[in-house]
Amino acid sequence: MRKLCIILGFAAALLSVVLAVTPLSKIALLPAIIAFAFGLIILYLSKEQSKKVIQYIFLLAIIAISITTYKSLFNKVEVGNTEELQDRVKESEEDSKEILEDLDLEEMDTIEDVQ
Amino acid sequence: MQRLILTISLFVSTLVFSQNNTIAAGEKLTFTASYNMSGLLTELAEVTMVTSEVKTSKSTLLKLQCTATTYNKWDSFFKIRDLYESYVSPTTLTPFLYKRDINEGGYYKFMQYKYSHKTKTVSSIKRKKAKTGGTYDENSTVKIGTNTRDIVSTIYHIRNLDIHKATIGDRQNFTILFDNEEVIITVKYLNKETITTNLGKKECYKLAISLNNNDILKGNNDNLLWLTADANKVPVYAKFKIAVGSGELKIKSATGLKN
Repeated sequence: MRKLCIILGFAAALLSVVLAVTPLSKIALLPAIIAFAFGLIILYLSKEQSKKVIQYIFLLAIIAISITTYKSLFNKVEVGNTEELQDRVKESEEDSKEILEDLDLEEMDTIEDVQ
Repeated sequence: MQRLILTISLFVSTLVFSQNNTIAAGEKLTFTASYNMSGLLTELAEVTMVTSEVKTSKSTLLKLQCTATTYNKWDSFFKIRDLYESYVSPTTLTPFLYKRDINEGGYYKFMQYKYSHKTKTVSSIKRKKAKTGGTYDENSTVKIGTNTRDIVSTIYHIRNLDIHKATIGDRQNFTILFDNEEVIITVKYLNKETITTNLGKKECYKLAISLNNNDILKGNNDNLLWLTADANKVPVYAKFKIAVGSGELKIKSATGLKN
């Protein structure tokens, strides 16, 4: 039981650290909390045994939570480089003008009348 | 005589109904798109809806443009730069040209519909990346119904509906041409609701959107759209449920509104 908790606790703690460094940092909170819970369970189960492993789990979870908190406080949500998109918009408009030039726009009025 | 009056009033009401009283050139709406994973919302992308005037030698059209851009923290993982355009009549919002140019994490696709309302057809061009490099085109002609529109002009058309005349529970079907296939969506007016948005507290029309012959959007009342209950009918909030999770679209700013 204790071993299982150690494995799950470690896995959750590692997962939280991995998620914390990705853009999904907010989601890292979930495994971090789970890791903490397992840490407490191990603490309860290991009466006279070594408690070093709990320290590692807690340390990893704290690192993950710190990274997540730092990111949510200091990382500004900004749109990436849109220059290429703006160029595409311009190109597309020029192309559309050419296409619409060929279109029989007289039908526009008839359609408006029908509707 | 009564019949004649009824016919005339019906005709007049249809004319009034089809007139664009909501959308003006120069309008810019900015949204934040978020994805919900295990109860935590992650901001993914910025969506903008811009209208502008486009002049050709014969006439002036209204360009409806929607773009989706991922936030820079996502760009190295899954970069999205999508562009949707529709060129419509400024008075009736009837579409004449539609373009969809999507670039999603290396996946590229371009679709163009050139409407011919006289023959009720659409000349479609589909451009994709070829495996050998470069791109290839697929041209086809698609038969469409009288009221078939593309997705962009449908969004604006829904905004232009006289929702204040509708009663709770009213529903209307719209035919959308997507990937050369006609898809029918049903919009149901649920009720009025006051919600807090970035534009302040707004009284809104709450609409439920469902796809009739497609299962991309899940559930019946899980895809919701809130339009402000004023003359501009600005979409301020949208919630949608897809196969993997759910997402939402929240308004960030709105400028250049008509009313």
